[in-house]
Amino acid sequence: MFITRKSLDRRTLLRGLGLGIALPMLDAMTPAFAAAPAKAAAAAPRRLAFCYVPNGIIMPAWTPATAGKDYELSRVMQPLAAYREKMLVLSGLAHKNGQALGDGPGDHARAAASFLTGVHPKKTEGADILLGPSVDQVAAEAIGKHTRFASLELGLESSGMVGNCDSGYSCAYSNSISWRSATTPLPPEVNPRAVFERLFGDGENFDPQTRAVMARQDKSILDFVRGNVSELQTNLGGADKRKLDEYLYSLREIERRITDAEKQAASGGRDQSPTIDKPAGIPVTFEDHAKLMFDLQVVAMRTDLTRVMTLMIGREGSNRTYRSIGVSEAHHGLSHHLNAAEKIEKITKINILHAELFAYFLGQLASTPDGDGTLLDHSMVVYGSGLSDGNRHDHHDLPVLVAGGGGGTLQGGRHIKYESKTPMTNLYLSLLDRLGVKPETIGDSTGRVEHLSL
Amino acid sequence: MKRYLFYFVGLGLAAQTPSATPAADEFSSSIRPFLTRNCQGCHNAKNKTGGLAVDQLTSAATLTTHADEWEKILRKVKTGEMPPVGFPKPAPAIASRFTAWAETELDRLAAQRPDPGRVTAHRLNRTEYNNAVRDLLAVDFTPADDFPADDAGYGFDNIADVLSLPPLLMEKYLSAAGKVSRQALGLVKISPALDKYTTDRRRSQRVRISDDLPFGTRGGLIVKHRFPADGDYLMRIRLSGQFDKSIPAPLLDLRLDGVRLKLFETPISMEEEEEEKRRFELRVPVTAGRHEVAVTFLEETWKTEDVAPKLLNVDFVEIGGPFNPKPNLNSPSRQRIFTCREQTEACAQTILSGLARKAYRRPVTITENAALMRFFRMGRQDGGTFDAGVQLALKSMLVSPNFLFRMEQAGLPAKVGEMSVERVTDLDLASRLSFFLWSSLPDNELLTLATQKKLREPAVLRAQVKRMLADSKSRALVSNFAGQWLHLRNLSQIKPDPDKFPEFDPELRESLGRETELFFEAVMREDRSVVDFLDGPFSYLNERLAKYYGIKGVEGSRFRRVALTGDQRSGVLTQGSILTVSSYPTRTSPVIRGKWILENFLAAPPPPPPPNVPELKTEEIGATASMRQQLEQHRANPACASCHARMDVIGFSLENYDAIGRWRTQDGKFPIDASGTLNGVQLNGPADLKALLRSRQDEFIGCLTEKLLTYGLGRGLERADKPVVRSISRNLARDDYRFSSLVMGIVESLPFQMRRAPAPKGPTAVKIASAR
Repeated sequence: MFITRKSLDRRTLLRGLGLGIALPMLDAMTPAFAAAPAKAAAAAPRRLAFCYVPNGIIMPAWTPATAGKDYELSRVMQPLAAYREKMLVLSGLAHKNGQALGDGPGDHARAAASFLTGVHPKKTEGADILLGPSVDQVAAEAIGKHTRFASLELGLESSGMVGNCDSGYSCAYSNSISWRSATTPLPPEVNPRAVFERLFGDGENFDPQTRAVMARQDKSILDFVRGNVSELQTNLGGADKRKLDEYLYSLREIERRITDAEKQAASGGRDQSPTIDKPAGIPVTFEDHAKLMFDLQVVAMRTDLTRVMTLMIGREGSNRTYRSIGVSEAHHGLSHHLNAAEKIEKITKINILHAELFAYFLGQLASTPDGDGTLLDHSMVVYGSGLSDGNRHDHHDLPVLVAGGGGGTLQGGRHIKYESKTPMTNLYLSLLDRLGVKPETIGDSTGRVEHLSL
Repeated sequence: MKRYLFYFVGLGLAAQTPSATPAADEFSSSIRPFLTRNCQGCHNAKNKTGGLAVDQLTSAATLTTHADEWEKILRKVKTGEMPPVGFPKPAPAIASRFTAWAETELDRLAAQRPDPGRVTAHRLNRTEYNNAVRDLLAVDFTPADDFPADDAGYGFDNIADVLSLPPLLMEKYLSAAGKVSRQALGLVKISPALDKYTTDRRRSQRVRISDDLPFGTRGGLIVKHRFPADGDYLMRIRLSGQFDKSIPAPLLDLRLDGVRLKLFETPISMEEEEEEKRRFELRVPVTAGRHEVAVTFLEETWKTEDVAPKLLNVDFVEIGGPFNPKPNLNSPSRQRIFTCREQTEACAQTILSGLARKAYRRPVTITENAALMRFFRMGRQDGGTFDAGVQLALKSMLVSPNFLFRMEQAGLPAKVGEMSVERVTDLDLASRLSFFLWSSLPDNELLTLATQKKLREPAVLRAQVKRMLADSKSRALVSNFAGQWLHLRNLSQIKPDPDKFPEFDPELRESLGRETELFFEAVMREDRSVVDFLDGPFSYLNERLAKYYGIKGVEGSRFRRVALTGDQRSGVLTQGSILTVSSYPTRTSPVIRGKWILENFLAAPPPPPPPNVPELKTEEIGATASMRQQLEQHRANPACASCHARMDVIGFSLENYDAIGRWRTQDGKFPIDASGTLNGVQLNGPADLKALLRSRQDEFIGCLTEKLLTYGLGRGLERADKPVVRSISRNLARDDYRFSSLVMGIVESLPFQMRRAPAPKGPTAVKIASAR
């Protein structure tokens, strides 16, 4: 049997009962903190988003034959035709730290780990995972203080499988692409309802006054537990200390959020009401799930609850089946096609489906007004994978798209071919520039890339 | 060997230096020659085959300096894997002498200088959080289901080092603490929601759909719904299908917990315009908690001449509410919390320190008590009621690191052999026990015994373990240990191709999982020999599963014990669940099955494939080759053969089971060939495989011990733990391999009872926490 649940709006309830009962305002109908009408917006802020697809892409069907302005859209990119002028196709970028470099197998773990970090992960299945901060978190660290949530990590596939994930690498490497620090992966949230509740409140009816009281109480509690931790830390060894450090960092983040919410409530500001209904849970079909997550990202951007986000269409090494497009075999198994034409065709179909869903996202961004333009105008959205040829586990010539206007700093409509093995992290430095964030290096970067703007 | 605690404190005094011992003599007379004759040809400093060079093992002293190598050598020679097939093998008696010596020496040295290891601060994982909240407050919803998935390590999701605390999780903790504390006190305002249960279209509604419904009913659905509060609820039923208008329509029966709420007799119409005439509703008061709601038809007593007459179906059932929710002032949660009822500060103190003792797994300190009272006063002031004060204090408890982490106190110093170690305190031991066997908080009995310092007494400890295994909470071992050891958790995610395997519906998926869980539970609760996992001749089946396996004489949907005969099904390896999780969605994979058994039953995981694996020559393989023929390529190439010779052969012996575990004799148009040779032993089919595993029973026992020890300790095992595993396995063999013996062996083992002493920080005394 199938189970669905939805919150009720007043009219539905009244209709069902045929009675006029005074109902409390359901939280799903009101913003988390009652907001005054939006004031005139300042210059629209820039957003940074990453969308990751696993197991590589069939490169002959992806890479356009020619470079420059008049490139021909490849087969996999057909669904994105409407956004050609707003999008840059990049070739030649690589993650040298995704390669084995003497560590033996484990390319999937390395692909996901290196994708946003440019760092070679330490090969371990145990506790001593070691990587580096990812570009989205570098951005979040700098600009996250302007928004209630420093960043948002979303995914479509939970990591519930037992058994090791990839040849001697901890599952943490394949399950996340965002890393706050060298030792802290940020797991993606997979349930749309949970994402909604995080952004807009968890659905119990609280009026603004009650919420204000709760905020004050919460801050007291957080202060108190922070004291607990300090006491405990004096007696602990190194590894234990690290665990509690994570705890402390998380406490600080929440406190910041609560304070921000209080300020918003007091001063008024952007309209932060959700424009979608609270989701009931994880939708049954993959396509619906993906679209819902994209919708949530758009809402989060529109309400300026965050400006940095990542979405994993699948965990790296994903074994999802795509029956809706006629693919019953598991994705990862198929991606080792060993040049069998039938398997290549099936993978191409999966690649096209992912591109279609990404096109949906771009469409939503393009049709959402933002300041003096649209969300797409003010965003930099990267679509790509840590592997190019999934069959051979190549980490060079990666499939990468950068969509959006970047607030006027990106000029699309071109296929740019960089010199082979240009570090992908150079692209990241260039994107960070556009956010006003200027670290010296990130991962294996050697400089910036050119030609993103004309 | 007896328990480390008592025996080796004495033996430590008798330790001798290795230079003039029997060990040294034996080494030069037979061990060193053995190495030279059987190993050094490949494993020398020049070739370093497999990363091992035995020429450096020049004396018995290397047992200490090169313990890692010695453990590897011991393992490989004992299992017969080395020397490899194709090389001259030493006579069995000589090999046994070698391994016996190595094992005894390694164990002896370990006894002198044991390393119990150290577990880091251990965050509660999702399951443990849910259970803790359940046991602390009798709350019946599972807040941790919303938490991000726990990272797993060494095959389990309760490994202290691997569990991290990202900011997302901290948010969830805070939010959950609020929800749980409000729910427990009954302070929550529940907004009405509508839950819709749709019938499974693939199931027939022409027959009785559950054993829990009366005879003479057909179709409909039966669900366990969680009613969040006492109040009125609206039940709405919609029908679909058609009925023959020449006979009376069937009566629709609505039941709550088996008791009829209403029999709907109003006229039904299935015309499109008369939508209301196919909907029925009833508003009824229901108490909070889980209740069984059933909607079904009274079977028509009229039969038409039609062979397959049109019949009505239930489309869906909606349950909406609560309306007019009433707070339940006497809920189980409130009963647990309110150990006194006067609304005084003294009572608040009693309530809160009692809760904190359970939540923190130890008595609270004066400072902690003071802090809780501060929150109580704050909450009471803000919310205006005594209950609001208790709620806020409770919320603070649930986000405290003392609740969320298992932080072990500084242990008492002890000496084992020559090593200074720390003895885990009684209270920490109580936690270790309860999280091992129940995945939850220690109960009052354990905490009391621990506070009285009686828990470590051998008789008391044994009695407690026995009690805990008998308690229904030990079901956690089934869901959490068995669920991960046997990969049962993957069963819910694997997706066999519905075109090839249309039989594989949700009911079958669930039944297959249940079978294995019940099997494990039987071994546990009946204290059976763990060798039953290999080939115990019984299982738990219902009618559906029995038909699936081709076993006759099982009727009805309840699971019951069935004795099994013949070679096809016995033990765990030939249960549908295991066979399904070790296959691809569209076909079997001998490689995956072989690897599965090597990893989970023999603790011999094959190493990952080497880099630059050459591609299989697919041009020679057409659609005309069977799976087996295609896989022969693995063995043709020597670079692949060394591992695949083992994996593939094990998998071939299970080829008679298709990708969802059914018995078959053909794979498409090819007959199944389940034969192969493993380490010189001929195999053909499952019976031979199980016989082989039986003959290597010791390896299985060692493997199971390793897995359960990893799970019980919450850390990966290191080389220093290998002697511990051997000791537990030996004791287990002497006790008929009974399950409780294995558990007891782990509980009494060195790493469970002791901890590595921390690196000295200077002249400060060992800190003993004030709360005792």
